[in-house]
Amino acid sequence: MWFEQVLFFVAAIGALGGALGVVILRNPFYSVLALVAHLVALAMLFLLLHAEFIAAGQVVVYAGAVMVLYVFVVAYIGGSDEPLRPEGGAISTFGPLFAAAIAIELCIAMLGTGLEAVDSKGADIGAGFGSPAAIGELLLRKFLVAFEAASFLLLIAAVGAVVLARRRRGLEEVA
Amino acid sequence: MESTLVMIVKSIVIFAFILQIVPIILLAERKLLGRFQSRIGPNRVGPKGLLQPLADVFKLLSKEASAPATAVPWMMAIAPVISIVTAVATLAIIPFGPFDAWGGEFGLYGIDVPIALLYFFAFGSLGFYGLVLGGWASGSKYSFLGAMRAAAQLISYEVALGLSLLGVAMTAGSLSLVDIVEAQDGMWYVVPQFVGFCIFMVAGFAETARAPFDLPEGDAEIVGGYNTEYGGMRFGSFFMAEYIEVIVISAIAAACFLGGWHGPGPVALAPLWMFLKLMAGVFFFIWIRASLPRLRYDQLMSFGWKVLLPLATLNVLVTAFVLVAT
Repeated sequence: MWFEQVLFFVAAIGALGGALGVVILRNPFYSVLALVAHLVALAMLFLLLHAEFIAAGQVVVYAGAVMVLYVFVVAYIGGSDEPLRPEGGAISTFGPLFAAAIAIELCIAMLGTGLEAVDSKGADIGAGFGSPAAIGELLLRKFLVAFEAASFLLLIAAVGAVVLARRRRGLEEVA
Repeated sequence: MESTLVMIVKSIVIFAFILQIVPIILLAERKLLGRFQSRIGPNRVGPKGLLQPLADVFKLLSKEASAPATAVPWMMAIAPVISIVTAVATLAIIPFGPFDAWGGEFGLYGIDVPIALLYFFAFGSLGFYGLVLGGWASGSKYSFLGAMRAAAQLISYEVALGLSLLGVAMTAGSLSLVDIVEAQDGMWYVVPQFVGFCIFMVAGFAETARAPFDLPEGDAEIVGGYNTEYGGMRFGSFFMAEYIEVIVISAIAAACFLGGWHGPGPVALAPLWMFLKLMAGVFFFIWIRASLPRLRYDQLMSFGWKVLLPLATLNVLVTAFVLVAT
């Protein structure tokens, strides 16, 4: 039992540290790496919640595929230190206000619901919970329509990205 | 259920196995490459050159770990560690025998996870952060080019690799390697999934960055690629990680397509059959390295996306249709 608790704190600190690093670090390459560390720590938290499939999916899809593209792009075009603050304007005035509003909202939400589960054992999980079979059952039987709608959404996004990239190239040829 | 003590012993055995097998494969590769090229190969250190790996390792250990002035030292140090750790972690799921092969107290594998194939991909995809970070942190253009090649190549071929194993997972009805091997009691999956096997081996060569897909370290064009600026045991770690990955790919191929531990004789011989199949895979890697020239980079990318990926998708679709129809 103590092993799970140690792992929880390691993963939680890793997740928080990674998330802070994404925002605070000035070099975009290090920010991307902090995001990778954050995602891996999140996968560890999923493991603690008996969601092995989601943990593996998190690492394969986000840390392994999406973030590699980020690393690829940032390593090519980024690398220099970016100034932390923008040059004034509306963002620097309203940014902190909106951030504070979201922080207060999140605090209210967390105090309202999430903390009740602390110190209890949490929801009961049946046998096979979080296994590939159980998740496949949910995705392809119970939530089939939503699942297919999400895949169409991704397809539209991919096609849209191709169309936008094409148009950009056309403009360059004119100029 | 296995006790904690058994788990600890298993971890030690896996590490010991790897540390012993890598130098042997290294020597076998140099000897075999020699034979393939009508040479004798290394024969000076020890009887018939058998102590050559010892000399190699001693040389690497005694060398200086230098870094260019433009490098990021801490990241340069951490990159080989990522490569080694992720490569060794995958070995935990390789099954060498059923649960009751040797006395019935423990299974001859590190762990039997229900998501073994995903576990393999998860650590595989984390593993190339080692190459990318190592190349980027070296602060040299050849290293950087090698790192970028590694990133593009691995992400392209990982898709085909995943799809090639999907056919196996669908036929066996499980993602666990132990279940997959047990499902091959009657017939090895290399027969019904022959296309998948070919795709897996080709993509496996690209994933391990071995010849003819060793573009990330193509020494004729970019010196040594991501490991150009590495020396001493840090280079040795990258080198070792590459050989561990060769073992892992061979082992996954043996478990998913070649029947795993199944073979003639009593069940206690299971690890022997698995080991022989694994070594046959490693031999195949060496054989191909001696036979085929390196591809051009654009050939590599267009082959991956335009030939291998559609073929792998078709294989999955056909498998799915056949499974639903029968």
